Amino acid sequence: MRALAFMLLALASSPAAAADLVVQVRLANGAAVPNAVVTLYPGGRPAATGTAPRTFQIAQRDLQFSPFVLVVPVGSEVSFPNFDNVRHHVYSFSPARRFELRLYAREQARSVRFDRAGIVPLGCNIHDGMIAYISVVDTGFAAKTDAAGRASFAGVPAGPAVARVWHPYLRAPANQMQLRLAVAPTGRQTQNIAVALRPPPRAGRTY
Amino acid sequence: MFACRRRGRVAAALVAALAALAWSAPAAADPPRLDLPANLTAVIDFRLVLTDGERAWTDGGFGRSRFGGGGGDIDVDAAPANVELVWHGPIAWNFEGNVALAAQDDQDQPVDLIEAFVAWRPVPRSATRISARAGMFWPPVSLEHQGPAWTVTDMITPSAINSWIGEEVKVIGLEGSAAHPLAGGRITATLGLFGFNDSAGALLGFRGWALHDQKTGAFSRQPLPPLNAFMQGAQPPWTTPTLELDDRPGYYGRLSWQLAAPVTLDAFYYANRGDPEAVTPDLQWGWDTSFLNLGARIDLGARTVLLAQALTGSTEMGYEENGHDWVETRFRAAYLRLTHRAGRLALSGRFDLFDTRQTGSQLGPEDDEQGWALTAALDWRLSDRAELILEGLHVDSERGARARLGLAPRQDQEIVQAAMRLTL
Repeated sequence: MRALAFMLLALASSPAAAADLVVQVRLANGAAVPNAVVTLYPGGRPAATGTAPRTFQIAQRDLQFSPFVLVVPVGSEVSFPNFDNVRHHVYSFSPARRFELRLYAREQARSVRFDRAGIVPLGCNIHDGMIAYISVVDTGFAAKTDAAGRASFAGVPAGPAVARVWHPYLRAPANQMQLRLAVAPTGRQTQNIAVALRPPPRAGRTY
Repeated sequence: MFACRRRGRVAAALVAALAALAWSAPAAADPPRLDLPANLTAVIDFRLVLTDGERAWTDGGFGRSRFGGGGGDIDVDAAPANVELVWHGPIAWNFEGNVALAAQDDQDQPVDLIEAFVAWRPVPRSATRISARAGMFWPPVSLEHQGPAWTVTDMITPSAINSWIGEEVKVIGLEGSAAHPLAGGRITATLGLFGFNDSAGALLGFRGWALHDQKTGAFSRQPLPPLNAFMQGAQPPWTTPTLELDDRPGYYGRLSWQLAAPVTLDAFYYANRGDPEAVTPDLQWGWDTSFLNLGARIDLGARTVLLAQALTGSTEMGYEENGHDWVETRFRAAYLRLTHRAGRLALSGRFDLFDTRQTGSQLGPEDDEQGWALTAALDWRLSDRAELILEGLHVDSERGARARLGLAPRQDQEIVQAAMRLTL
């Protein structure tokens, strides 16, 4: 009996024990919250990213950035192709990455490398209504919620973990909330998280 | 009894106009494309107007609107009311230009310059965003003018407050702004220094408030209503709003706070520091005008917006006699406007209150005025280049000076307009 208990404990704490985790983000009224970035830290530590950094893309089309929220691992490059017929002046003043790109013409693209974890808000100095966010993450377990408000993770190590949820309009300090959860050794686990959002800001330009 | 019959006729004419416009709307949804250079926009506003009541102030009367009746009968007018040509585009990476020309059917200049400024917007280096502009522009008072060439969105006629801003409060100056995030929202401070607005106040002093969409150009005159005997010798029956008379700059300041909730509040103070005794050879006077405007925009859900402004101020002109300048006018106005959008339609309603009080030595209580107006508008966006706006305006005001034209002091008026706005 003692031997069985020891074996079970060993199995629970073994790296091989892992579950599929779905984080479901909703408002208090039950509405799904898309574009929330969920990051998981098994045992409170970043997980290895697993994949090599690669190039991502944020397009400028119809005077909007697309996607609105992009999740990239540290060390990734993001290209900014301009598919509009007008000029765009993309910038960010975030501590995670400060840059400025002058995109003159249609289909002109330039890339920026993101070497520090953090949130990088993007703007266009010519078109105030253009807003997007890059979440540069330092853990392999990072995903953006889909239209149904779900972020899915496969093979999350069992045991205690820290989950962080960030959304540009989240009503919380630094637009982020953190919670502790216990990941089951096997199977599929759903974690529901209720959040409150602020209304998106209106463009503040008068001329 | 007459009023009821008059309103019945206005309503019948309105139904006929509506039917004609609804019939022609699908054809207008796709106006011909002009091969204009990039950043150039032409806006043509075809107007069908039905009015009754007194003669308009633009026609030498005391009517509170741009259009007036023939003294009781319904007056029908169909014409392009405004044609505007706007250039808005980048000059360099951090500089933008904005130039707008307008032809308005009831102004003395066939075509006039209504805006010309350069805006500087450096890429933000921190959460604080700074910007500046220099040139000729309207100071940021109106919450209603959000369209190109300073046009009102969703309605035809702006409130009494913003009608006056459009006709008299236009400056040539330098303005700087700084915006900073605050408590989940944003606070913006703006300061302006300006000249060429010393005669602002003449229309409010002599005519009082009005409700119309006519905009003053750089070289335009605005007509004045019949003046009293003394003033007829001191002031011609017109005013030029964009004049520099005393080489003293005026200033304005604005504080706007966008809260974390969908509410924006703003306070604006203006003083042109005009010299009331400065006068040109053709008798255009300096008016010492100052006012405070408070504004609020509240988004009630995603489709409904509440706008409100209240303005109070005073203006003085002429020499001092018996302890008072010739004209000393205190003015106040406020409005509440609700706009609800449903698909391609926007329904708006607005209630205006306004008054002026005269304590000058040469302009007395017979030129006091108080009034109210109710405006309802339906905006139908036929396409991204065509928009049909139907608007009904009822205005009611009392002013003793109407006796100069043999009219009763209290007059009311209905103005029904249909505007087809084409963006080419």
